[in-house]
Amino acid sequence: MLQYVIAGLVIGGIYAIAAAGLTLTYASAGILNFSFGALAYFVARFFYWLHSQHHWGLLPSAVIALFAVGPLLGVLLYLVLFRMLQLASTLIKIVATLGVSVCVPPLATLLFGNVTIVEAPGLAPEPVSVYHVLGVPVTMDQIIDYGCVLAVVIVGFVVLRYTDVGLRVRAMVDSPAMTSLSGSSPALVSIGVWAASVFLAGLAGVLSAPIIGLDPTDYTLLMASAFAAVVAARLRNVPVAVVVGLVIGIAGSLVQHYLPPSSSFTAAVIPSIPFAVTVIFLVYHLVRYGRADETDGVGGALDRAILPHGGNRRAAFPSAGGPGARPPLHWPPAVLGIAVLCVAAFVLSSFWVGLLAEGAAYAIIFLAFTLVVGEGGMIWACEATFAGVGAVAAAQFATSHGWPVLAAVVAGGIIAVPMGVIIGMLTIRLGGLYVTLVTLMFGLLMDNLVFTRTIFTQNGIGVTMPSPGFATTSRALLFLGLGIFCAVSLLIVNIRRSTTGLALSAVRFSEAGSKTIGLSVLQMKVLVAGVAAFVAAVGGAILAMSQLSALPGNFATLGGIVWLAVLVTAGIRSNMAALTAGMMFTVLPGIVLEYLPASWGQVPPVLFGLGAILVAKNPDGWMAQQADQIRWLWRRVRGTRDVTARVAAGARGPLADAGPAGARPAAESAAPPRGLSEVQDR
Amino acid sequence: MSAAVTPTAVTPALAADRVTVRFGGLVALNDVSVAVAPGTITGLVGPNGAGKSTLFGVLSGLRRPDAGAVHLAGVDVTARTPQDRSRTGLARSFQQPELFPLLTVREHLVLAYRSRHARSRLWQDLFLAGSLRRPPAGELARVDALLELLSLTDVAGQPACVLPLGTSRIVEVGRALATSPSVLLLDEPLSGLDVGEAERLATALRHVVDHEGLAMLLVEHDVAMVLSLSSFIYVLDFGAVIAGGTPADIRADAQVRAAYLGDADQLQTPEPGDAR
Repeated sequence: MLQYVIAGLVIGGIYAIAAAGLTLTYASAGILNFSFGALAYFVARFFYWLHSQHHWGLLPSAVIALFAVGPLLGVLLYLVLFRMLQLASTLIKIVATLGVSVCVPPLATLLFGNVTIVEAPGLAPEPVSVYHVLGVPVTMDQIIDYGCVLAVVIVGFVVLRYTDVGLRVRAMVDSPAMTSLSGSSPALVSIGVWAASVFLAGLAGVLSAPIIGLDPTDYTLLMASAFAAVVAARLRNVPVAVVVGLVIGIAGSLVQHYLPPSSSFTAAVIPSIPFAVTVIFLVYHLVRYGRADETDGVGGALDRAILPHGGNRRAAFPSAGGPGARPPLHWPPAVLGIAVLCVAAFVLSSFWVGLLAEGAAYAIIFLAFTLVVGEGGMIWACEATFAGVGAVAAAQFATSHGWPVLAAVVAGGIIAVPMGVIIGMLTIRLGGLYVTLVTLMFGLLMDNLVFTRTIFTQNGIGVTMPSPGFATTSRALLFLGLGIFCAVSLLIVNIRRSTTGLALSAVRFSEAGSKTIGLSVLQMKVLVAGVAAFVAAVGGAILAMSQLSALPGNFATLGGIVWLAVLVTAGIRSNMAALTAGMMFTVLPGIVLEYLPASWGQVPPVLFGLGAILVAKNPDGWMAQQADQIRWLWRRVRGTRDVTARVAAGARGPLADAGPAGARPAAESAAPPRGLSEVQDR
Repeated sequence: MSAAVTPTAVTPALAADRVTVRFGGLVALNDVSVAVAPGTITGLVGPNGAGKSTLFGVLSGLRRPDAGAVHLAGVDVTARTPQDRSRTGLARSFQQPELFPLLTVREHLVLAYRSRHARSRLWQDLFLAGSLRRPPAGELARVDALLELLSLTDVAGQPACVLPLGTSRIVEVGRALATSPSVLLLDEPLSGLDVGEAERLATALRHVVDHEGLAMLLVEHDVAMVLSLSSFIYVLDFGAVIAGGTPADIRADAQVRAAYLGDADQLQTPEPGDAR
């Protein structure tokens, strides 16, 4: 048993370091860094590049990678991104850090070359020496791992407890506003904290390399386990995060010891541990504190007062120019967009029409995000899982059971509904960030437990997904996809304009305010979650149709997070943005594939990532921004005539009243109006 | 409910019965009993920290009392949620306006109206073209009347985030009234309003009480305004009711004058608006 504890401490130590880095930045900057895994990968990949590809010595490589590149990356990211996120909404914070995680691995490939890495060395000199401690073989890599964990804990404790810097950091955790008022610069402290956090990411990455190799996906998965420890620590308590990280590692190792090694049950239990830890601790928090909300105990009174919307957790969206309460109907652009696609279906070659058909399927899946995130205000990370469920289920029904294809698609959708509803009910009382984490863990669990089954993967080729008889060509499939897209869009427009939509946006803005007028949107949210799961599943089935088979690997949760990033880049509250995002998602790589050299293959993911990062600057998404500017131009073109007409008629426009908005018409000619004008022009 | 604190013989629209709330060692409310008769305005005054807002929290259901009960029209609602109480006719406003920034003023009222009158629309909203139907005549009439009454017609189309503080407060009152409450709790509705706004709001409040028979509990720093508006007044100090009676009783009460030592002049001048 001892040897399993010792082995478990290795991976547990990595979890602990990662969890420490994650809680550090969450506690001091309010940002849960979803790009932690990607940053860990970047530093590890850089270390490999120096040490193995360029044959630098071990020590200089390690020193440069860990103590220069890691912290510098942290400082750089703070300066260009994290600095702008501090007062942003939860959604924007999540999406922007996701953007980094989408961007960094392909950037690493561009910088360090696309080489196949079979084995990556750790910090121990090669060949790695093996010692025997109490009869258990321990490698030098493992000893270094323990040493690093110990060093991180001791140095962290001493710095935070006994130094002036530590005092400033702790003061900032308690109240950033008061810290700055008492003369410390939160910016300097933040730079230090981010440098330290990305240093820890790099350390975790370099330590992981000999164990998990150098595949970016594995790093993100590894960090997902660290998220469990972060949840246990209520996102803010560094010591608890470290201890739980170690315990998760040991638990995984012990499970391997006590359960039969080759059984499928063991294979199912191990990946479930982080999810189980998350659930256990959330239940504990709910029982102990009555709620689990990331805004609990945040900052002092002054900090709460200056938080967006007084720190109300439901305000997952920015207010000024934010995704409005109820955006207007964009009939002309919507009709125009669909018409262009229909024309394209007849003009373009079948390669491009095939991509457009696939894009329409993605657009349907994206509408699930529009529903659950944009309307429901719940940032779910597992819509890809529902899409996958719909795809594999429909393929099973259609191919293995010989059902009519459309019936199989609907059945696949119906199977996803109870899953969406149950997760909705389980997470309804959690704070926004916890919802994201739980759904992320759930998606990863489904990836591991369900989507790896041979019955679905068919050894990598997937179950064939036939198209209905009337839609065997790409063109017909595109029309089918567009038809479903339009139907779902109308449903969403209907919700948006209804009492339910009003109530949902009211709750997003002020929970206390909506309680006192008797609004309870719990049922509505759960229902929206169920409908979104159905939509995602149907979209997944259509996507499988255009790809000819239902490949579970195409519906991985981490891939789904990229989808969310792409969608938010275009606009999370607009149906047209979903369509554009879907088309972009397939057509952009198509263009690179067709017209650019193969080495440019990494460019589209970098662009998607950069787009998501830019959301920090433009939370509405670029579609909404473009729409605003076009509307502004339009108003300028006919502005003069319009105003005179109004004055002549003695009509009072919606903006012509007293109050701060009174100055609006004058301001309009000077600068493009954002956000608010949308609401008022409805 | 002890008869001593009940201003009238009829069943009160809202009553707190021997409510106690503790924050750790601090007793914020100690055995407090108040009753609000239907069709009247009842005032609640007291110095800062007297427990007024805590009592409001208990009455509206946002805070569970450690002891005691809350009755709404004679029914014990102590265990009910705020939503539940709201549906049975209890509405409130907040000291800090809790509006929905991007919803228009009219939408605030419409939403509040529907939350009381047109519930269980989940499925219709999702799958029927419910949004395209014309709103029922009753809703239009009620919302328009409220906008008119509170002089909000001019700003009806504006989102709440562009409104000045005073107007925000009035919108909160309007939103509360749109749920057609039987009891309305107002937490300092007049603070932040200029004299004209305050007088208009006071007139509107008296109008709805007189014409719709609702009961109102009013917390307000402006003691003169409370004395002029209310027919019965409770005075809280250090978490306990130190006096309860008509405006005349309160003005004459020595204990109240002691609690309001610096404010003795206020008690003498009943004219609304003078105190500001």
